[in-house]
Amino acid sequence: MEEDRGRIKREVLRDFARYIDPMKVRTLKAAGLDIVEDRREGASVWDITGRRYIDCTTGMGCFNVGRRHPRVVKALKEALDLLDTGIFLMVSRQKAQLARRLAEITPGNLTCTLFGTGGGEANDAAIKLARGFTGCKEILYAERGYHGHTGFALSAIGREAYREPFEPLMPGFRRVPFGDVEALEKAISGETAAVLLEPIQGEAGIRIPPDDYLQTVRRLCDENGALLILDEVQTGFGRTGRMFACEHWGVVPDILTVAKSLGGSLYPISATIYREDLLDFFIAHPFIHLSTFGGSDLGCVVALAVIDVIQQEGLVERARAMGERFAAGFEVLKRRYPGLLLEVRQKGLMMGLQFTNASIGPRMSYQLAQRGVLAIYSGNDPSVMRLMPPLVIGEEEVDQVLEALDEAMAQLMKEPGIGKED
Amino acid sequence: MATQEEILEALEDYKLQCNSNQRLRRMQKDWSRVIHFICNDTEDTFTMEVIKGEITEVRAGLHGPADIVVTADSETFCDMFWGDLNPTQKYLRGEIQVKASQEDIMRLDAITMIIWPDV
Repeated sequence: MEEDRGRIKREVLRDFARYIDPMKVRTLKAAGLDIVEDRREGASVWDITGRRYIDCTTGMGCFNVGRRHPRVVKALKEALDLLDTGIFLMVSRQKAQLARRLAEITPGNLTCTLFGTGGGEANDAAIKLARGFTGCKEILYAERGYHGHTGFALSAIGREAYREPFEPLMPGFRRVPFGDVEALEKAISGETAAVLLEPIQGEAGIRIPPDDYLQTVRRLCDENGALLILDEVQTGFGRTGRMFACEHWGVVPDILTVAKSLGGSLYPISATIYREDLLDFFIAHPFIHLSTFGGSDLGCVVALAVIDVIQQEGLVERARAMGERFAAGFEVLKRRYPGLLLEVRQKGLMMGLQFTNASIGPRMSYQLAQRGVLAIYSGNDPSVMRLMPPLVIGEEEVDQVLEALDEAMAQLMKEPGIGKED
Repeated sequence: MATQEEILEALEDYKLQCNSNQRLRRMQKDWSRVIHFICNDTEDTFTMEVIKGEITEVRAGLHGPADIVVTADSETFCDMFWGDLNPTQKYLRGEIQVKASQEDIMRLDAITMIIWPDV
């Protein structure tokens, strides 16, 4: 049986490499991350060979309620007996229920929703709405920011490698340094349609802005008639210890985008949630932005179950509590490995460990995988190990991750090339 | 330890393998870089110039400003240029150090995958 599973794994990896992406397989294999996902439950995933891993990647924030949460699975199963995606042009009870629920749980006056299937699509819709509503074209976005790989969103991506092969991209996009109020003040004007930001940058390496940054951005947007779009695709739904990260700073955007965890990783769904008066653009331009499977009835049922779970099981509070447990462990690690672990950046269970150089992130991924922890370094800064476990992670699992980090760092200390200059 | 001559011979073969591979040339046509190789045991150094996917020059010494700097011991370089080891695995063990963008590191690995798919 064990031999069969080993054979199946080899076949899967071979077929994946042959028919999908050989470089992906090669890179994952080298990093010890060539697992073939099999059983999934709570904060854990099992390789097809039966080895268990604690999932600290969660698809960059998809599994806030854990993997295959039983209540969400049940809701989807029941919905499958009655529903399908629905006709996207039609009215549906599920869409209306979810939109109303999103209006209730989002901060301030964000009351209207446009559904999509993924984060990029949600940000595309936000940018279109901002341009359509304001009549202005300029979109300001942040260095090293990440908003997805679709048309408008790609134009706002802060990493050249993602952009260059596809240029020219959409015109009217202008990059500013993240967290720099003065730079934004110089860039923003009456021609600015929107400022698009992640409240905490995920791909960039869990970069948390200075405390007054988002409040100042809000003021600058108001003074210049620009909209503030906050991309909470990674930070939303309890990840940072608040339902939405913008609540840490008491800032309400004009448009908030969510995806990933909204679908509980059982059904892809995203939402562009905006303040009521922006609806005027869609009243004047009905049917101008459509998505065949955006806000599918099945997806809406799943999303409603996800929100129920987050609220009724206290996952926002749990993210804070488990975040504190991690933080205490990180303090020990920082003292133990000062020449390797330079800084910890954290809000709740959105955590980034800043190491000395860009080789360390991939090497930590490898070392952690050897110790039963799945974690992937930040795409836009490989010197940062990103940890984003499900919010349902237990105390014992947190301790296991900390122990694996300790052992992995101890191992790296014995290897060459770990200094700042290496 | 490998000598400077041995590494240059391996580099010349690597150049031949890369330049004669049409798939690789097509794939790398948007890639021009100067790469420095530094042997941390013998202190020998080498420069490779790539212009639009073609390796135009390999020679001893450090020439021009580098886009990529690779440091390892001389044996590792020799094995790497002959296709006898997986450089990514060595990189992930700290035995090869690379100062470059993440994209360039992936490009180097992609070259290895194309010319030595079994490594």
